[in-house]
Amino acid sequence: MSEEALIRMLSGVARDGATRAGRGLSGLMGQQISIEVPNVRVGTKTDACDAVGGEECLVLGAYLTISGDITGHVMLLFPEARALECVDLMCGQPPGTTTEPDDLAHSAIGELGNIVGSAFVNALADDLNLILHPSPPAILHDMAIALVETVYAEVLSQGGDVVMMDAVFEDEKGRTAGLLIVAPDPASVERLLGVAA
Amino acid sequence: MTAPAADARRVSVGIGQLAISKDGNDVLVAYGLGSCIGISCYDPQAKVGGLAHVLLPSSDGKRVEDREPARFADTGIDLLVKRLCDAGAVPRRLIVKIAGGAAVLGPANAEKFKIGERNADAIKERLKRHGISPAATDIGGSKGRTLEVHVISGKTYVRTAASPASEL
Repeated sequence: MSEEALIRMLSGVARDGATRAGRGLSGLMGQQISIEVPNVRVGTKTDACDAVGGEECLVLGAYLTISGDITGHVMLLFPEARALECVDLMCGQPPGTTTEPDDLAHSAIGELGNIVGSAFVNALADDLNLILHPSPPAILHDMAIALVETVYAEVLSQGGDVVMMDAVFEDEKGRTAGLLIVAPDPASVERLLGVAA
Repeated sequence: MTAPAADARRVSVGIGQLAISKDGNDVLVAYGLGSCIGISCYDPQAKVGGLAHVLLPSSDGKRVEDREPARFADTGIDLLVKRLCDAGAVPRRLIVKIAGGAAVLGPANAEKFKIGERNADAIKERLKRHGISPAATDIGGSKGRTLEVHVISGKTYVRTAASPASEL
């Protein structure tokens, strides 16, 4: 299958997943969240991190693995300052209450990753009639590119190329409210395309 | 003069890339190494520096694509050493420092994903074949790193999101 055809097929899957994930994020943050048209990228592209401030930008987020009929990786990343704002919104606190990524912030971000990541995974499962299980979230606090390139390495170590779906969420003020990245393992890309067809 | 000029040119060495320079104004940088490893090399006599950003331990005989010449430890190091020699360096004079290979996706996944560790082993093994053993290493742990080498002095620095640059 050509790269264009692969991207076209996965775009439909990504759009539905991102819509549901965005709804999850809206519910938690108590405000309207819009979603840019999700991207499907093939290969190790560093511009995947641009939405959260570029390669070295410090992000806070959550990472989940997918198991079941397909396997893969899900990551929800926020620029650190935005993550802290999310925590205040989720906890019903005045903005600026959370000033550092403490235990409460970690727990809130883990919950956010859990709900938003699972929403995407469940959309995949429903649309394609698959049984999928998201793992509990691991909390991430690091440079954006270090996290993304590690997912690239995990996928590429299994052979094949890396295919990554990503969606940027925006808040009511049009600012980046988060970046969701989903990368199926290579054997699962084939499986996804098979069932999507 | 041993410090780069204030207007030093920072050359970003992305995933799977390598760079060689003899220009004292250059600082070669590998940003945000997670499980990847940066290999910095410097020949103090020829005053040539090099940096490679390796993603995976082994090419397993696969063809190396032009767009990512240093994706794999084995073929990447061979090419890095060759390019350095082409620029006048001599392998036995090279001061080699390596950093990266962290498990950044959380403790529960560190046991499962061992790419960083495998990268480190593969890199040391391949360097040995060229008669090189690293002069300094900053490997493993759970945090991403940025590695840079200053071509004017050969000085190498590592920083993480939480800690400022320190000389390696």
